[in-house]
Amino acid sequence: MLRALSGTTRLVLLLLILLLSVIFLLPKQTRAVLQAIGQPVSAVIFFPVELLTALEQKIFGVWDEYVALRHVREENRQLRRDLGSLQKQNADLRESAVAAQRLAGLLEFKEQFVPQTVAARVIGRDSTNWYSGVILNKGDRDGIRPEMGVMTTAGVVGRVVKTGPFSSMVLLMTDPHNAITGIIQRSRDEGIVEGTSQGRARIKYLPLLASVRVGDTVVTSGLTGGFPRGIVIGAVLSIQKEEGELFQSAEITPEADLSKLEEVLVITVPRSPDAHADAKIGKS
Amino acid sequence: MKQVLYCGLILGLVPFQVTALNFASIAGIRPDLTLIAIFLIGFLGGEIEGLLMGVLLGCVQDLFSAGSLWVNLITKGMIGILAGLLGRHLASATPVTVCAFLFVLSLLSGSTAALWIRVEDDLSGVSQVIQSVVLPQALFDAALGTLIYWVMPGRRRRESEFGDEMALFGR
Repeated sequence: MLRALSGTTRLVLLLLILLLSVIFLLPKQTRAVLQAIGQPVSAVIFFPVELLTALEQKIFGVWDEYVALRHVREENRQLRRDLGSLQKQNADLRESAVAAQRLAGLLEFKEQFVPQTVAARVIGRDSTNWYSGVILNKGDRDGIRPEMGVMTTAGVVGRVVKTGPFSSMVLLMTDPHNAITGIIQRSRDEGIVEGTSQGRARIKYLPLLASVRVGDTVVTSGLTGGFPRGIVIGAVLSIQKEEGELFQSAEITPEADLSKLEEVLVITVPRSPDAHADAKIGKS
Repeated sequence: MKQVLYCGLILGLVPFQVTALNFASIAGIRPDLTLIAIFLIGFLGGEIEGLLMGVLLGCVQDLFSAGSLWVNLITKGMIGILAGLLGRHLASATPVTVCAFLFVLSLLSGSTAALWIRVEDDLSGVSQVIQSVVLPQALFDAALGTLIYWVMPGRRRRESEFGDEMALFGR
């Protein structure tokens, strides 16, 4: 097949194939190079992403406020302007109230529980169907680093896996590639929470004698990863205990609604300064 | 003109895929616009264009994905080459053949990526991923890609060139 190509084209093609082979055969060694190239590219691509997100919100705003009400306006020509403007005002006010309530809740939660967090907005989803991930509008420049925990007021969302100058990629807790240490809040039994392909999570490696019940709350253990102790992960939906197995596992429904994420908190320092001081005293 | 189009694709296609395309998903599966674009570029423009755009778009796609930084770069690059070779050696390109090739290449690229991703952890669940993600996405890609090919001006030019060649041979 390659005979049909001209000499230069064949050479360029072979060089490019060679380059791809090097990347494929030496993924760890080429990672640093790819990351170095990726940082400025990601910074450039971030702006179209932001622009499209804003445009999308505008379009949906127009749809909600105007197009859906078109038939009502046709029937009530006389009242159209008043009704339309009042409804728009009302919707705007409601939206503002809901946003203010949500943000106040987030702020209150931030002040109460986690000493150092960065609030970020979800601007997109993973570019492939392989991973359950979201893109945040904060990155390296805002102090976000890989492995940091991400949460909402409801509970754990996931962890940061990649960062660019202005954006970062979060792998959701329901992704099978994610793992967080968790404990059953009531019985204090510890396990590993992993995502499942059904969009839920599962706590694994629970001791066989652990008394787990349906409805039990699972929280972060705070031992490893970017989460402090006690952040809600979800509630136990079902328990799997099989004969001959050394451990039992339980399916969990995530507490945070991961399909409708808008604002999240990235935990930049998972433990409070007091906890750090305690840890230092413990060590000494 | 072509360069401007390619720059536009590099800057705009992945952002479109991560934002607006979420509303076009069926059962959580979205079409892979970059794969469709690379296939069509390779198919109509040749191996080099297909490979270069595959590598560039794959690289951008990897930046906005939770996976490793090389999976899409390699799979999309290979899709570009294969599409170019198919375009060069295929005598008659109709929307049906485009649909079939796009389906097969999407399936191939998806299965390869699924295997690589799982090899990093373990191989369990690959068949489930292929059934629940790769196959629906391949169908989605093939349908959308054929539709795009159908409305493209390049297709008519290519088909009319083929018609002229056939006329020369008296067929």
